[in-house]
Amino acid sequence: MTPLLVALSLATSHVVTVAGLGGEPDYEQRFAAHAAEIEKLLKTDADAKVITLSGAGATKTALVNALQQVGRDAKLDDSFALILIGHGTFDNTDYKLNLPGPDITAAELAPLLDRIAASKQLVVNTTSASGASLMLLQRPNRTVITATKSGMEKNAPVFARYWVEAMRDPAADSDKNETVTALEAYRYADQKTVSYYETQKRLATEHALLEDAGSGDGARAPSPENGKGQLAARFPLVRLGAAQKASLSPEKQVLLKKKEELEISIDKLKYQKAAMPAEEYRRTMQALLLELARVQGAIDK
Amino acid sequence: MALQQQLRLVFVGLSLATQWACAQTVELKKPKAKVDVVVSPNPAAACWQHKLYGRTAEAVSCFTKLQGASDPLARAESAWGLERYQDAVYQFQEAVKAKPTDITPRIRLGTLFRQRYQPKDAGELLGEALELDEKNTDALLEMARVAGENYDRKAVEMVKQALEINPKLATAHELLAKLSAEESNFALATEHAEKALALLPQSLDAMAVLGAIDLLQERPNTTWFEKALKINPAYGEAYNIGGELLILNRRYNEGIALFRKAVEIRPGLWEARARLGINLMRLGKEEEAYKELSATYEAGYKSFPVVNTLRLMDSYKNFQTFRNSRAVVRLHKKEASVLEPYFTSEMERIMASYDKKYGTSVSGPIQIEVYPDHEDFAVRTMGMPGLGALGVSFGPIVAMDSPSGRKPGSFHWASTLWHEMSHVYALSITNYRVPRWFTEGLAVYEETAASPDWGDRLDPPTIIAIRDKKLLPVAELDRGFIRPSYPAQVTVSYFQAGRICQYIAQNWGYPKLIEILRDYGQSKKTPEIFQARLGISPEEFDKRFLPWVENQNSKIVTGFKDWQERLKTVVTAYRAKNWDIVQAEAPALRDIYPEYVEAANPYEMLYEMHLAKKDQAGAMAELKRYSKAAGRDPKLLKDLARLEEESGDKRAAAATLKRLLYIAPAQDEELHRRLGNLLLDEQDNLGAVREFRAAVASKPVDLAAAQFALAKAYRAAHQTDNAKDALFAALEAAPGYRPAQKMLLELTSSEKE
Repeated sequence: MTPLLVALSLATSHVVTVAGLGGEPDYEQRFAAHAAEIEKLLKTDADAKVITLSGAGATKTALVNALQQVGRDAKLDDSFALILIGHGTFDNTDYKLNLPGPDITAAELAPLLDRIAASKQLVVNTTSASGASLMLLQRPNRTVITATKSGMEKNAPVFARYWVEAMRDPAADSDKNETVTALEAYRYADQKTVSYYETQKRLATEHALLEDAGSGDGARAPSPENGKGQLAARFPLVRLGAAQKASLSPEKQVLLKKKEELEISIDKLKYQKAAMPAEEYRRTMQALLLELARVQGAIDK
Repeated sequence: MALQQQLRLVFVGLSLATQWACAQTVELKKPKAKVDVVVSPNPAAACWQHKLYGRTAEAVSCFTKLQGASDPLARAESAWGLERYQDAVYQFQEAVKAKPTDITPRIRLGTLFRQRYQPKDAGELLGEALELDEKNTDALLEMARVAGENYDRKAVEMVKQALEINPKLATAHELLAKLSAEESNFALATEHAEKALALLPQSLDAMAVLGAIDLLQERPNTTWFEKALKINPAYGEAYNIGGELLILNRRYNEGIALFRKAVEIRPGLWEARARLGINLMRLGKEEEAYKELSATYEAGYKSFPVVNTLRLMDSYKNFQTFRNSRAVVRLHKKEASVLEPYFTSEMERIMASYDKKYGTSVSGPIQIEVYPDHEDFAVRTMGMPGLGALGVSFGPIVAMDSPSGRKPGSFHWASTLWHEMSHVYALSITNYRVPRWFTEGLAVYEETAASPDWGDRLDPPTIIAIRDKKLLPVAELDRGFIRPSYPAQVTVSYFQAGRICQYIAQNWGYPKLIEILRDYGQSKKTPEIFQARLGISPEEFDKRFLPWVENQNSKIVTGFKDWQERLKTVVTAYRAKNWDIVQAEAPALRDIYPEYVEAANPYEMLYEMHLAKKDQAGAMAELKRYSKAAGRDPKLLKDLARLEEESGDKRAAAATLKRLLYIAPAQDEELHRRLGNLLLDEQDNLGAVREFRAAVASKPVDLAAAQFALAKAYRAAHQTDNAKDALFAALEAAPGYRPAQKMLLELTSSEKE
């Protein structure tokens, strides 16, 4: 996949994280800890503007104000992410995020998000019943991820835990381009969630979805076949190590550009794999990989 | 079969297989207040007599005449006799409605339900009948049959109750003969069969039991089956009863031969055909098994065992088979690539060990089937006595749970495999004549002989059984496996049998166990064998063995109640993070009952305490004790490996993780990755290749890193082509992966040179 590091190097990423009501001290602490860790991880990026609401401060008013603030600040080239952690409910009509004081519904959130100009948007709703928010929040150029497939999955999900883990675990960067994209984080968190229920021999009470085509249902396993995941693959969530530095070093731009071209060629070749003789595919791929390795070597020098 | 401590309460799931097992639990209710109970005579008694004694035309005519009777009970019997089962059920229900205080329709409908594989419904109706009249012998006997099908001890009690009411009940003696034969108590079985025949000379079932006993006691020229067939030439049930008794005594091939005869005599005896199919499946004769079971199903005999076995066999397409000259390993496709190396190499290790120990090898390949879904495995053990918890062997075929079929840490697959393989050898050496208690005892003994931290630990129910002197005399130990008299008796019997073998090995030497095994192969009995090999009678053996067991465990047996109370206090302190109390109290509790490694064990609490007090060395020492005491929690073992690695002892860390391979090798990419790295450090390059291959096969989130690690291991093992393949896979997944790119450049440059 294409990292778009060059283009993004001049843009700002805006992130609003909300840790809602826990109900019990244990959940309260867990939600706040997740939000704090997300903030810590994102603030290592100088281009990130991060707002975190948790505990008593995570009110509906504060959330509305935060989103309005992003609406005022964000430009077209920027990216925006909203991460919701906590308990969600669904009464067959409205999805609600439980907050101190009045709750906020998905229907109320949607217009606030629509007023944000950022052309790349991501909503990660990790709450129970979050699946009920998907249809209301989806829109072209926005990736929506929910921890549950519907409003009927009401048990506290573990997805949030693994979403946070994806943001700090280099293993989540499956293509090793030193950027964890929304798609990589989704796949990581989903796989870990599935594995959690399997190894615990428990019936899974959550099934995460990703929707980034702006319409239709979310997909459990985004892929070119179901038309999901392309936008999420281009949403850089966290940049790790050298990529971050590289994005800040203008003298590397030429090499980075070449690298990007090679990566695009590799991506294209992968899509042609099924239609090519295996030997030819391997030979061509090997040549591209070798060239990419040489360019990367030059960048690293 | 193999059992493990954490899995004692199996058969609590929701599958059809487990419903079958659960449904037959029999509970008698207190009788209702007195009402005027009616006991109608069976209006079709004469018709059933015709049927029982093979007068088919007369039977059909008799049942047909009752079709238009005004009494719904008669119509029900007619429909049943003419094999119109749905109609029969309806008519019986009408009969119950018409005469609510008449006990007969309930008993008869209960009997129909039992015969048509609805034991739960049967139990309910018979319970209602007994509520109306607790002394009705027909209801008691039918309820006993329901209980007997689940190997419930209450079956025997209910038959005895019926005999107290009417000592001249031939059917009660018939049933007691069959139940006793199931427990391998052939003397008692013969006694009751003979009593049945004395009361009813044409007792066909008593003849069948006597015929089976003859075969089980090496009298192949028995005439009992012929006698039964002389009375009713179409009485395939005689061979069906005989076949089932042979199967229960693990004489599978002979049992199958009897089922074949049953079906030959009466092709429509679907119960026998179902048993034939199921047992053919157990012995790996799948094509014929499927044919028989399909025919049974198509004929409308859709019992749980038939349906579930067909379903299981349909799922075989999802399995992958690995063969060599001595073993066939069948693994589910989703985990075959991870598990195959471990199962194959362990099979080789086991066979090398047992060939030497038992002084013989098993002819023909041994087949191991590994089921990731416990319900599939449960189908394999359905209708068998005891708890089919983890593994079962049918001669050269072993079926077992996969390590992925259980919560990690709750199942030691290698220990189970050694256990089941011991059965394979014991059954082969004795030609299936080894008594259950001895083969189980030997198998339990072999588990800990393979490695001291394998096998089952002394569990609380066993401690209580020792304390309450509930261990059985060795001569009666089979009873504890087949028809337990208290819930934990099966597991206690496993423990006892294992300890008996340990006691014999300690005092007379291990070869004595093999001599005993060979004696059983010659159909010798326990008293004779004990006298000849050990020089003492079974009674004398008990006098020496039971105090030995008590003495071995005296500390925990005498102090168990106190230990439980003190553990509660420490757990409370642990939860409150009151580490000083944990530090002061937990070591003594650990030392009183060192085998306790389950939930809230002192080792774990002390480990947490040491961590809280920043004492890494203390934490590591505690986890080492835990591991040595057979603790199996993957998290704790991984923690131990980490501490060992941090302390610089990579060899110990690798050993700890290798131990975990025998417990939970599936669905754990981290385990394989960490172990692979440690082995690579130790220059065990082939070991590292094995582990990284397993990591790749575990479908890791980070596939590129796993493939790259595999490439490194291959390179270290000088397998350059394999290294290139793995490297290609790594870079294909992650083209920008720097370390992989570096290796690619290195390999390319070395090629040029």
